[in-house]
Amino acid sequence: MTRRYETVYIFDSALEEPAITETLERLHALLTKDGKGSVSSTNHWGKRSLAFPIKKKDTGYYVVAQFEAAGELLPEYERAVKLDESVLRYLVVLNEGEPAKPMPTTPVVAPDDLELEEEEA
Amino acid sequence: MRRPAKTCPVCESGVRVLDYKDDRTLGRFLTERGKILPSRLSGMCARHQRQLATAIKRARQLALIPYIKSGSSA
Repeated sequence: MTRRYETVYIFDSALEEPAITETLERLHALLTKDGKGSVSSTNHWGKRSLAFPIKKKDTGYYVVAQFEAAGELLPEYERAVKLDESVLRYLVVLNEGEPAKPMPTTPVVAPDDLELEEEEA
Repeated sequence: MRRPAKTCPVCESGVRVLDYKDDRTLGRFLTERGKILPSRLSGMCARHQRQLATAIKRARQLALIPYIKSGSSA
């Protein structure tokens, strides 16, 4: 039996976009193997500031992925996500059947001046 | 004396399921310290208040909204 899930990843914002896409492909391959699941959408929110620091970082690269998979694939997938150093945090939840919403337009940190600029407290 | 019954702001807006990724909407139901607003103040129906609590807790895990807002900053 397959169920619909949704995962939100927070990647290290220092990473380049191709590296993130590559990691996502590798992780999602675990969900789609043997034809037991499929990833229906991945939505990149891009860089945004975190409400509090995670692993001493103030910004993260958010990606939301919706997928359908058999439950028995999840433990292995979650283990892989946990082991991946580039994922600061993730959350897997059951998708409640609502259609995917557009990304919220909240303060996004400009990608260019991230490194140099100090946060004004 | 009875106050007139408040109507649920979420039901009125026609939203059935609260989204934990929508930090703007969730922010309306937080106190200035970042606590979850009680339904007594928000006027929410029981179903949506339960959904709200779950959504806020998820959003906190994802650093979309803070666990505690400090008084001076933000």
